[in-house]
Amino acid sequence: MLQVTNIEKYYGSRNQVTKALNRVSFRVEDGEFLAIMGASGSGKTTLLNCISTIDTVSAGEILLDGVNVANLSETELAGFRREKLGFVFQDYNLLDTLTVEENIGLALSLNHINPGAVRTKVEEMAAKLGIADILDKFPCQISGGQKQRTACARAMVAGQSLILADEPTGALDSRASKNLLEMMSVMNQEMGATILMVTHDAYGASYAGRVLFLKDGRVFNELLRGERGRSVFYHEILDVLAAMGGDVSDVI
Amino acid sequence: MTLSKLSFRNARRQARDYMVYFVTISLAAALLYAYNGLVFSGEIRTLSKGMSSLSLTIVLASVVVVCVFGWLVAYAARFMLLRRSRELGTYILIGLENRQVAQMFFLENLMVGSCALALGLALGGLLYQAFRAIIFSLFGLPYHFALGLSLPAVMLTAVYFSLIYLYALSRNRKRIRKMKIYDLIYSDRRNEGPVIGNGKIRRWLFGASFVLGAVGIFLLMRRELIWGLMGAACIIIFLFGFFLSFASGVPAFFERRPARKYRGQNLLIFRSLTARLAAMGIMMAVISMIFAATIMVEGSGLVLNGLFRSRSAEKACFDLYFGIEGKEQDPRPYLDYIEDNISVEQWVLYRVYVSGIADVQNYISSHTAYYCYNYEQDPVMRWRDYAALRAVAGYPAAEQEPGRYLIHCTAYLEEPLRDYTRPLNLGGITLAPGSVYTEHFFQGTGVTNGRGYLLIVPDEAVEGLEVHHLAYAAQTSEPVSAERFEELTAAAGVDENRFLTDSESYTFFAAKAIENADVAYQTAISVFPLFFLALALTMTAATILTLQQLSESEPYRRQFELLRKLGMDRREMTGVLRKQAAVYYTMPAVPALLIGVPFILKLAAAPEPGVMVGVSDPGVIVSITLGIFFLIYGIYIVLAYTSLKRNVLPE
Repeated sequence: MLQVTNIEKYYGSRNQVTKALNRVSFRVEDGEFLAIMGASGSGKTTLLNCISTIDTVSAGEILLDGVNVANLSETELAGFRREKLGFVFQDYNLLDTLTVEENIGLALSLNHINPGAVRTKVEEMAAKLGIADILDKFPCQISGGQKQRTACARAMVAGQSLILADEPTGALDSRASKNLLEMMSVMNQEMGATILMVTHDAYGASYAGRVLFLKDGRVFNELLRGERGRSVFYHEILDVLAAMGGDVSDVI
Repeated sequence: MTLSKLSFRNARRQARDYMVYFVTISLAAALLYAYNGLVFSGEIRTLSKGMSSLSLTIVLASVVVVCVFGWLVAYAARFMLLRRSRELGTYILIGLENRQVAQMFFLENLMVGSCALALGLALGGLLYQAFRAIIFSLFGLPYHFALGLSLPAVMLTAVYFSLIYLYALSRNRKRIRKMKIYDLIYSDRRNEGPVIGNGKIRRWLFGASFVLGAVGIFLLMRRELIWGLMGAACIIIFLFGFFLSFASGVPAFFERRPARKYRGQNLLIFRSLTARLAAMGIMMAVISMIFAATIMVEGSGLVLNGLFRSRSAEKACFDLYFGIEGKEQDPRPYLDYIEDNISVEQWVLYRVYVSGIADVQNYISSHTAYYCYNYEQDPVMRWRDYAALRAVAGYPAAEQEPGRYLIHCTAYLEEPLRDYTRPLNLGGITLAPGSVYTEHFFQGTGVTNGRGYLLIVPDEAVEGLEVHHLAYAAQTSEPVSAERFEELTAAAGVDENRFLTDSESYTFFAAKAIENADVAYQTAISVFPLFFLALALTMTAATILTLQQLSESEPYRRQFELLRKLGMDRREMTGVLRKQAAVYYTMPAVPALLIGVPFILKLAAAPEPGVMVGVSDPGVIVSITLGIFFLIYGIYIVLAYTSLKRNVLPE
């Protein structure tokens, strides 16, 4: 589904260049749940921005469903984002002036889906994610966990190929984080969603099937969960983080 | 860094961040100065006797304008205070006292006000010249540009500005002194309420407000005081009800029609509007009322102007005129005075007869709206006098049509009288209808050439007809001065209304120069203050709307950043932003138009038919009023939209 090949990203002027990404390559298969971990400044958000076409790479290529995103015009990129990508952000990024139903329906509206079918699709998705009873509420009237579920519903409702999650549990308490991660597992395993999640939370990453570790803009390590239990996988992630010499305070 | 330096920096930032507000305050100073310039101008006062009352009407209008601008400055200062509460809280956190912060805020606003005043005085000097040019052209006098500041006008403007600022800032000073550091620093973390209420009562109110609005307009149109007052009350309730319930009523509408909600960009547009109205419904109603008042005031000014012009145009067709009605129709005292004191190029002394029948009058009554008549029978003039009068008035010669009578009437009566076919029988001579002429011919009230119409017949046809009045019209070498005119009327023993009334006769005087001067001063003392008020109201309301709009830049920027990530392309985002701004600025204007336009049309229909024609036609007055209103409003909209787009969708 997603193929990232030797991408590099530089910032700054000629005299002071910062290399945010250094020859990063990996693949994400259809239906996979991949977590990308790293300390602050490791380049994980830059990587996510490049994949989400919000930012451009300095070198290398990104193919999503066989399409090289670098070759797309601004208008094509916009269409690409709304058709192929779903976003879940740390701070939810819901529109305060829209109800939960409308926030989810917005993704369909942007895709010019038949307006008469929007409400039905929204209700189906909301039922799957357990937020059917709060559809008429505004974001300020619901909890952080419910906001994040709303964001997940918006990210999937238009049939997007890849869900990009940027620290989705960053603003949630431990209980809400657990609920959200379990729901993302359900989205991945039962609803077939392909998820790429950026996080510095080892507990959150342990829900993924595979974890890539970034350090100083490079892929430092990779862990596959395989048939192991989540708890075992969690401890393995902690071990890799320790080996990386990451900021212990980052590890929850 | 001292407090004053900090205030200075903040003042510079304030002027930059709230440019529209700064420009409005500068223009307010310019307007106040320009009008004060008229108040203190000796040159303007001496243009005509009536111009002495211009000062009074402008000062009265200034009192209202100062209150309006005072409200604007108080609102803007409070608005900025709320936006900057975290910053002000930080000053207190690092050790400043509330008193010092209040003083700093006071100082920075005073600096902004002083700069606006200085800039406004410079602009006001130019604006005053424009006003001078308009007034001189009203009086038909040559205008010479003469730039300079009038010290009394500067001082009065400074006094007005001090009142505006002292009122606004003293209120905010008290507010800052009472503020607690926690409230200031965490003002943005207060528990948010739902952005939009959706109570059933509000939804009900939404529907009811429409009904009240329709009832209000209907009652206003009845043109009766008691119904009009009730109509105005209904309109006010409609405005508040509509804007307070809009945020509930419209979502309820879309709730029942989800397909419409998700069609195109409806969702983003209607939700941004409902959110805005939920937060500022009352203010929106107030702004809408201000706009309605603006349109009504501007329209009233133009209707008055039209009324004055129309009456003057009819009266001012002869350089000098008098008409004598009654038993003793002796023109000699006046002719003697004229011969001795006024240089006359050509003149005519003539009679206006009555035909003994009222066929034309009856025809007009049955073919037009209400019309006033001075005569019980159709007025008649002989051809020789008519031809001479046309020459005196400077009109091209008319062609005599044998066997026919001509009609000279006002433009309003031209259409029905062109279709008039009945012959006229005078003393055994039968005449068929001939051509119709419509130049101004002194056919208004008073002892004039027929009221609205006059029949011109061959000289022999007036034999034996009853004389209605004797009249004199002259073309003079130079305009008749006010002094000469007063002497003429005084010599004849005429009262100040220009009528000579005794038991035997009744004389009516008019002179083109005097009529033109009258209309000029009447226009100046009524239209100028009305437009002063209208400008102040439009600028204030548009500035408040713009401040609100620009304060939402940051949430808008976040919203569009999200939409970009979700895949909305730039063209679509620009379209959404444009529509959101358009709907936001249209909302308060629509009810104002619904109230203001019928009001103007009714007011313009109040004078007798035929008066409000040409550029004073009710349709033209409405167009000019709306043109002026939307020109000023449009400038604010363009400024606000350009600034919003730059902040929200940077290139």
